[in-house]
Parts: sequence; C-alpha cells; structure tokens
Amino acid sequence: MDTFALIFGYAYQYFDNVGFLVLSASGLIIIFGMMGVINMAHGELMMIGAYITAFSYYAGVPAPIAVIFAGVGAGLVGMVLERLVIRYFYKQLLSSLVVTWGLSLMFSQGFLLIFGPSILNLPTPFGGFPISEQTFGSYRLVLFGCALALVAGIWALFTFTRFGTQARATMEDPAMADALGINTRQVYSLTFGLGCALGGIAGGLFAMTATISPFFGVNYTPLAFITVVIGGGANAITGLIASALALAGVQTVVVNAFNQYVGYISMMAAAFLILLALPRGISDYLERRKLRAVRASRPSPHG
Amino acid sequence: MANAATRLDRWLGPLNGPQTMGRGVPFWLCFIAAVVVLAIAPNFLSRYDIINFSNFLISGLLALSLGLIWGYCGILSLGQASFFGLGGYAYGVVAMNLLRAHGNTDVAFVAGILIPVAFAAVIGAILFYARLRGVYVAILMLVISLVIGTFLRQTADPSYTIGAAYLGGMNGLRPTSPDDPLLPSLIFGFGDWVAEFDGRSVSFYHLVLAIVVAVYLGLRCVVNSTYGFLLVGVREEPERTETFGYDVRLIQLSVFCLAAAIAGLSGVLYTAWGTYIHPDGFGVAQNILVVIWVAVGGRKDLLAALLGALVLNWISLRLASEGEFALLVMGAILVGVMLLAPEGLAIAIGNRLGRLFGHGAKVGQPAVRTEEG
Amino acid sequence: MGAPATKLAVAGTMILETRGLMKTYGGVAALQGVDFALKTGELHCIIGPNGAGKSTFFKLLMGIERPSAGQIVFKGRDITRLQAHERARLGITVKFQSMRVYQDLPVYHNLFIPLRRHHRAREIPAVVERLLADVHLSGTGEEYVRNLSHGQQQWLAIAMAVAAEPEVLLLDEPTAGMSAEETTATARIVKRLNGQGTSIIVIEHDMAFIRDLDSMTSVLHYGALFAQGAFKDIEASVEVQRIYLGTL
Repeated sequence: MDTFALIFGYAYQYFDNVGFLVLSASGLIIIFGMMGVINMAHGELMMIGAYITAFSYYAGVPAPIAVIFAGVGAGLVGMVLERLVIRYFYKQLLSSLVVTWGLSLMFSQGFLLIFGPSILNLPTPFGGFPISEQTFGSYRLVLFGCALALVAGIWALFTFTRFGTQARATMEDPAMADALGINTRQVYSLTFGLGCALGGIAGGLFAMTATISPFFGVNYTPLAFITVVIGGGANAITGLIASALALAGVQTVVVNAFNQYVGYISMMAAAFLILLALPRGISDYLERRKLRAVRASRPSPHG
Repeated sequence: MANAATRLDRWLGPLNGPQTMGRGVPFWLCFIAAVVVLAIAPNFLSRYDIINFSNFLISGLLALSLGLIWGYCGILSLGQASFFGLGGYAYGVVAMNLLRAHGNTDVAFVAGILIPVAFAAVIGAILFYARLRGVYVAILMLVISLVIGTFLRQTADPSYTIGAAYLGGMNGLRPTSPDDPLLPSLIFGFGDWVAEFDGRSVSFYHLVLAIVVAVYLGLRCVVNSTYGFLLVGVREEPERTETFGYDVRLIQLSVFCLAAAIAGLSGVLYTAWGTYIHPDGFGVAQNILVVIWVAVGGRKDLLAALLGALVLNWISLRLASEGEFALLVMGAILVGVMLLAPEGLAIAIGNRLGRLFGHGAKVGQPAVRTEEG
Repeated sequence: MGAPATKLAVAGTMILETRGLMKTYGGVAALQGVDFALKTGELHCIIGPNGAGKSTFFKLLMGIERPSAGQIVFKGRDITRLQAHERARLGITVKFQSMRVYQDLPVYHNLFIPLRRHHRAREIPAVVERLLADVHLSGTGEEYVRNLSHGQQQWLAIAMAVAAEPEVLLLDEPTAGMSAEETTATARIVKRLNGQGTSIIVIEHDMAFIRDLDSMTSVLHYGALFAQGAFKDIEASVEVQRIYLGTL
C-alpha cells in the first residue's frame, strides 16, 4: 500500500508537471511554430487571463465559464496586438522578441498601475482525495486533463478544419498560400489570437492555484520558453508534448532528490543539453526521423 | 568640406570610420563640447543631480556593451545585466575580503571585470560552438540571468558567506559580521598613493565620465578596425565570412567576452556608486531596460546606444517623481520606436543631421531584407 | 562521351578529390557516392538538372555541411572533417548560389574582409581598385551594397570570391541574372583567373556560358556523376540531352 502511495505520488507530481508545462507553453509554441515569432508577452497574456477569471468569478460567473472568458479576452487582446504591432515584425525573430518584450513590460506595469500590487486569490476547486496517508488535490488532475484536452483540440483544429488547412499552407509557403487565395493576413491574425487565447485559458486555470498579481506571468514565462525552445518549431504539437514529457521527468526526479530550486536549475541544464544535442529542437529531430522512415519504406525513384 | 574630412580622418586615425556615426569636424567639435559641458556640470548642478548623472553614465556603459554585440555582431542577449550583476557581486565580495589587507579595491576592480569575462567565456563557448540560433541565445541568456537572480534571492541563510562577505539574499551583499568592513567605494592604491572615490562625490562622477569617454573612444577604434568589420560580416553573412577563412564562433565568443568586460565594469562602478548590490540586478526589469536603451537609441551605433541610456534614464528619473509609471512609459517608448524608427531614434536623427552636413546616411539604413534567427 | 564517371587519375596532379561522397537528407540521397577529381590548374564545369545535387556537392566541398559518407581530399590531405573556415585557410573558397554579399557594408569593405587575410590594411585600397575594375564596378567603393543592382551584386560576389585568393574556387551559378554581355565578360574573368593558375569548378545552367568556357564538363544526375568529358562531346551526347529533356 505504501509503495503504491509512493509510486502514485511520483506519478501525480510528474503529470502535474507535464500539465503545467503543456498549459503554459501551448500558446507560445503555436505562435512560434506557425509564425516564427517568440511572444515575450505570453506570460502577461496569462496574467490577463487570470485577472479576467478572477473578476468574472467574483462577479458570480461559474469557474469554467470564467476560464473561457479568460481565453476569449486574451485572444481578443492578442488579435489587437497582432494588428497594431506584431504584423510589422514577421520573419524578424530578434526584433519580434524585443518588441513583444516591450509589450509585456507595458502590460505588467499597466496592470500594476490600475490594480496595484495587491494580490487576488481564488479558491482551488474539487478538494482532494486521500491515498494511504497523503491527500492529493483533485484540481491538479483536472489541470492535466485540461492540458490533454487542449492539445487534442489544437491538433483537431489544425488537422480537420478549414482554418487549420489554411494555416498549415500559410506556414509552408506564405507566398504560395497567398497566390491560392488564402487570406494570409487573417490567418496570421487568427493564429496569433489563438495562441494568446491558449495563454489566457492557461492563466485562468492557474489562477485557481496561484496568487494573482501584475507579475503573475513572470513565474511562468521562463519555463514556457524553455519548453518551446527545446520543443522547436518544426512541429508545434509533437514538440510541445515531447519537451514537456522530458522536462517534467527531470523536474520530478530532481525536485524529489533535492529541492525546488535545484529542480528548476536542472530543467534549465537539461534544456541546455538537449539543445546542444538537437540545436533545432526535439520536434525537428522527430520530423526528420519520420521523414526518413517514410522515405525508406518507399522505393527510391531511381533504383 | 570633403578635404577637411579626409584630413580629419588621417588625424583621428582609427577613431573614424564608416562603422560609427559622426566623422566630420562638426561632430567632433560637438563631441568635445559635450564632454566639456559634462565635465564642468558639477559647477552649476546640484549634488543630487551629479549623483544621478554618475548612475546614468554607468548605465551608458552597460548600453555600450549590449550595443557592441547586438548592433555590430548581431548577438542579442536578453540577459546582459547578468554580467553587470556578476561584476557587482564579484567586486563587492573581493573588496570586502581584501580591503583590510590591501587598503584599496584594486584587485576587486579587476575581479569585477574578469569574473564576468570568465563566465561569458564558458557560456559563450557553449552557445556559439554549438552554433545555436540567435533567438535561443537571446532567451537562454535571459534564463541564465534569472537563474542566478533566483539563486541569490535564496541566500538569506547565514551559511551563504564568502569570507567577510555575506550574500544576504534579497537584502543584497553585506558584511558577514559587524567587525567586517562594509562594501566600500572605489579606492585605487598604488604604493603610497591612494585615491578614494566616494560614490556621492564629484570626483567619482569625473572618474565615471572619464571611463565612459575612454570606453566609447576605445570601442570606436575596435569597431572601425578590421575586427569591427568582421563583426559586421558575422552579423550580415556568417557563412560567407566563414568561407573567407574566419572562425565565426571565435569572433562571436571574443566579442561576447569583451562586452561582458564592459558590462562587468559597469556593475563594478554601480556597486561602488551605491555601495550596495542585490539580486534585482539580475531581474527582468534590469535586463529589459538595457535592451530598451539600446533599441531606442539605436543598436547599430555606439553613441546612439550610449545616448539612449542617458536620455531614457533621465526621463525615467523625471517620471519617477510623478508616480509609478516610469517602466510603463519605457515599454511604450520601446514599442513606439520599434514601429516608427526601427533602427533607433538617435540613428534616425543622426542620419538626418549627416545629410544636413552633406555626409549622407551612413549607419543602419534599414535594408530590405529579413534577419536570420 | 556518355561513359560513367572516369576512373581517378594518379594522385599528385589532383588538387581536390572526392571519394564515394554521399549526402542524405532525411533518407533522401542528394549525392550518392560521387568520385570526382579536379586537376591542379583545371577549369571544370558541372551541369545537371535542378535537384541533381550540384549545390549540395559544393556545400560538402566547402564544409558548410558534413557528408553522410565518403572522403574529400585536398592536395593529398583528407579534409573531410575540417570546418569551412579551416578549408578556406587551406585555399578553397566558394561563391554561393545566392550571392551572400554584405548588404550593410560599403562595397570597399565587402572586398576588404576577404582581402584582409592575405594583405596588410594599407595595401588593400589598391587591390580593391583593381578588383573593382575587373568586374566593371570601378568607383562604387563607397556605395552601400544594398544600393547596387542585382547584376552588380552578382559581380561583387564574384570579386569577393576572387579576393579570397583561393587555389580552388567554387563558383555556383556565377551568371545567374546576368545579361548576355555580362555573361561573356564573366567567362573572360573566369578564364583569366584560370590562366593565372587558379583551379576552378563552375556550376552553371547557362549553356552559352559553358560553351564559352569550353572546359572539361561533368554531368550530375540524381546525385551521381553521369558523364564526363570535353564540353562539345557532352553537348553532343544523346543521354545528356535526354536528361535535360527529362525523358530518361
């Protein structure tokens, strides 16, 4: 029984960590993979999502609806940003990095000015369940479930919908997509909005486990970046999952062996090592393997 | 006019070249006048202003360090303040330990420059020899800075001491015991000759001014030398530069270390100026400010980056007396400038002036091309 | 004639050789075992349809990419594992297909960078003058490259490769986007360089240009050497014509 509790405890932590990384990085990696922009304001969009959730909740909106509000709100903010600022910085990786960082500063400082440094708290729903002598929070499992659902949703969106087809065509070759009559500007705008909406939803979900302040985003941003960077831009979804699985593994083991801080450092170190081995990220490596497998199974065109 | 410029070029030798804005007689006259005005400023400004000006100039050094790698070599570091912070901590730790024995901070001054360089050499060797993409380098530098900051924040435990220096967590560096010396200002000693520069004094201001002018002129020589053209070569076409027989990774690593030295020097001066250093030096705000100064001034020119730091610091200070929105305005200025004058305000103005004086635009004209990550 | 790649000649007279050079991208073979040899002082053209592996071949020779298998030998020394800059120091350089000129530097300094490896700074202005005259760019030294026309940038790219003073020069489509006169002038430059002792490999699509050069020619097809011989024989070969018409 105790062994079971121990194993369950590790598994619980591991999937909690995976869920955390997937949720905080999903929006970021979509924008990076589809548009080649690393959105440094991602954490602040999560912060906006958290505030929207908190205010809606206190206004009497049920928590799940409040989280959806957060997604819609952050998505709209994202689309406005795309129209006003981001679209001038496509294909300029470094400049887009800097300009979105400026936006992040404006958001965190703006919220600080409006709402002050005081923090908000939301109750964590669903209580807990006991295993052996330990109690585990149910909400963490809900978060992991949400992470899975979001990833599945993103995959379905890009695989089955018209928007998904257009987005993939645009990513493949913007000029060609344009020539085929796809409104690439709108695709970019929607993709950016979608990425921001995912950030808002993540922020809304985390709002129930963390304190909400204008600097809410700062806690998530570095880990989200690390997840994205080692995931790579070649295939957003596989990259996201692979890197979350890998990093969460490192984190779970090291946190249990040492402490939170060493766990944090070890994730950075692991990210560093993975990048040295696979400079373009895990997804690029997986894509190339897949390609090789596909090609190998086909007869060569010239025997 | 052209003749005078050529004569001036010969006269100024390595200081003048197409890599820096301002090469003509009017420019150098203005430059000398500006330095003279800054030098005699203590005669007509308050002590409070002078103390602040010292800090602005120290920020200017940090801006020069980022401008050098980002503007000239295309290496964006979002964590340039980590070298600044490391320099500050290194200076403080060494100074507090050696002050009694040496009576000066010479070793601490040197350590505050060399330790960031050593750190940059290790990190840079990994980043550049692995040929990581530019975006990844930029973000990893920020992460490294935040990790160091997080580490220092949790050093409040009394066991975190290095000899006479106690890291002190959030409160910053302080003496281990009441008997140990406080974090000192700069004290240069050479034999019997000892010169102390209290951070609040006019002499410190003059020292910092002299250092900034020297670093600026020194970097002008660097960027207008063969090495400087190689830096731009690496920024523009790294692969092409490599196929001419230059080791691009080595060029990147060396300039990264040089920039770390300047950032470290800036950290040393900052620590000596306020006689304190704390983990916030590694935080997001400090790192983003450096990027803002350089981007708003103009990354492709040294003077533009320097002016960006001086002017924006001055604006921040003004705003600080009005309320808590200095950082908000800095963010807005950054976004606005990136949209309207992507090459930076000082460069845009400089190019206007250059045209006015018949030199034509020289630096950082937006080229119709996309940058590589 | 249309024979498969000729056997390697005796080493020693060869400046650059490849043995079984192979490159695969994700399972696709871009080059499959190329045995190629360049004689010292030779001018050699490589032709072949798009996707035949010509540019990949150059990237491997230069060290921009690593081969999946095989060997590259320069003057009897195995350079397969050397970095691009190390090969450049031994005396190999390339003009890329895309021009890769320094857009944000003046023309003068575009040449300054390659020249500085072999010359003192004060000798360089005179050399630049001469190089610019060769490629019809006299008087443009102060111009920023971004203000030059496409054709002029192509000239500059060639001049930069020449300025590196290589023993082996790899020219990837030197005449792309050039007019007929410009192409003829380029052929003159290439032949003169070759006359001065530089060994040169040229990748081209422009048959008129290759006819002008009138040199040894190899045909690359599906990543393998398909034929090798004097240009007029290659031109007459039925198989080669078929490759270009795509009916193989």
